[in-house]
Amino acid sequence: MVTLDAAKMTNRQLNLRLKELAREQADITVLNPQAGHNIAVGILEPCKIKIKGSVGYYAASLMDGPEVSIEGNAGWGLGDNMMAGKITLSKDAGASVASTIRGGEVFVGGNAGARAGISMKGGTLVVAGSSGFLTGFMMQKGRIIVCGDAGEAVGDSMYEGTIYVAGNIGSLGTDTQVADISEEELLEIWGLLDSHGIEQRPRFTKVVSAKKLYHYDSLERLEKTVI
Amino acid sequence: MCGVSGILYKKSGAQAQAPIGEDLVKMLEAMTHRGKDSSGVTVVGEYPEGDLLIRIWVDAAFQVPDTLTRAEETVLRSGGVVKSKADWGQFLRLAVNYDGEIRLLAEALLDTEGVALHSIGQVSEVIKDEGTPVDMDRKHAVSRLRGTHGIGHVRMATESRVDVNHAHPFWAYPFADVTVVHNGQLTNYHKLKRMFEDQGHRFQTSNDSELIAVYLADKLAHGENLTQTLEDSLEDLDGTFTYLVTTKDGLGYAKDQWSAKPLVTMETDDIVAIASEEVALRGVFPGELDRLEPQNHEVMTWLL
Repeated sequence: MVTLDAAKMTNRQLNLRLKELAREQADITVLNPQAGHNIAVGILEPCKIKIKGSVGYYAASLMDGPEVSIEGNAGWGLGDNMMAGKITLSKDAGASVASTIRGGEVFVGGNAGARAGISMKGGTLVVAGSSGFLTGFMMQKGRIIVCGDAGEAVGDSMYEGTIYVAGNIGSLGTDTQVADISEEELLEIWGLLDSHGIEQRPRFTKVVSAKKLYHYDSLERLEKTVI
Repeated sequence: MCGVSGILYKKSGAQAQAPIGEDLVKMLEAMTHRGKDSSGVTVVGEYPEGDLLIRIWVDAAFQVPDTLTRAEETVLRSGGVVKSKADWGQFLRLAVNYDGEIRLLAEALLDTEGVALHSIGQVSEVIKDEGTPVDMDRKHAVSRLRGTHGIGHVRMATESRVDVNHAHPFWAYPFADVTVVHNGQLTNYHKLKRMFEDQGHRFQTSNDSELIAVYLADKLAHGENLTQTLEDSLEDLDGTFTYLVTTKDGLGYAKDQWSAKPLVTMETDDIVAIASEEVALRGVFPGELDRLEPQNHEVMTWLL
């Protein structure tokens, strides 16, 4: 267990030290992040990082493997482009949380801002509270689970992937439709919520792509193997 | 990219002694990375010794003492009396007794050689300069200014030129005490500017943020309240924008339909603080805090 005080280091020093410690698969606690930007970026080894306080933009982005927990809020782009790993945020996330992630899991304990899960290419985003405008915008794969309400234009222009909303949907985005949800899916989601200490068992509205906006019929052979 | 910030002390009305200048500098300093071209603030609640507080920048091509003399003569000719004056560098600050139409005084000052008007207000003034917030504070002692509320800005220029006159906040010439800071780009700027010019408005810069200030002040002058004015702007302004506005007794923000530009707010029983980033709020509220992130197509106002 190693403790780093972000208030006594530059952002570059902090990230270099985190990378070193990650290679040793250490348990790391970061104190005094003070909502600073780019904290714990580009960590490519499995390790545990606990951040005691709010972080700014692009926290825990470009990472592959670590488990990061943040006790506070996050600014824009939390977990941006994660390949694998797990991020647990205790309070609110800014816009574009889990943008373009390809794997792993991002959990937001509070609310998420606009464009949550924009262009996701895999992985799971769970929002315990509500999510904002354009949730799952241009999503390509993966799933988004919103336990509260979702704002306007849910899933706008999504290609693939699934968005589950327990509360009200502000409006459905372009080229989306509501699909039936199976009991197996529900049980799996409830299990996931359980793992984050959420005891409610909400029913969800499942939103998927209507696939009318893009030319799915005229895909190249190789493209067809992708979807 | 630009950074905006705003602060209002809800119970500061009578004394106007809240540390507005200091708070704004701290918030802006924490957002210096969002723009280093120029910095600026509006501080409201500085009760001057005269009726109006006038902030002037002297064009480098002119001598400061001569321009000051010419500005004083203009005030006198317009029926006003200069109660106090100060100058440092290329900046002038005049407190003036004047009970005529502000538009006439503003027109006369703008026609005075060497004068660029940064603000005219009964209770507010705009301080802006090239460089970072720390540079600005060193040169203009912004931290010493006290009042009720204010807004600030750090600029990374995109569309219009980098100079002191294109720095934010923009005062809504020729309406007293309406100023705006803005992060974004208006796409129907030229169209709206022509419309206002046809009505006789005189723009001082080619910056789209000046248009927002004039747009709002024009509506307010026609009797609309601040909230309604901001709501109207969401329909009439095209583009991406998050802007803050100060009036004599109010502070507000508006966010475009795309939620393209960031903003977080923090409110207690005593204080409202607004900024592009949470890191800036910590200048006012040290320690962990619960902030809100406004979404798309939203406005909010606070009145003293």
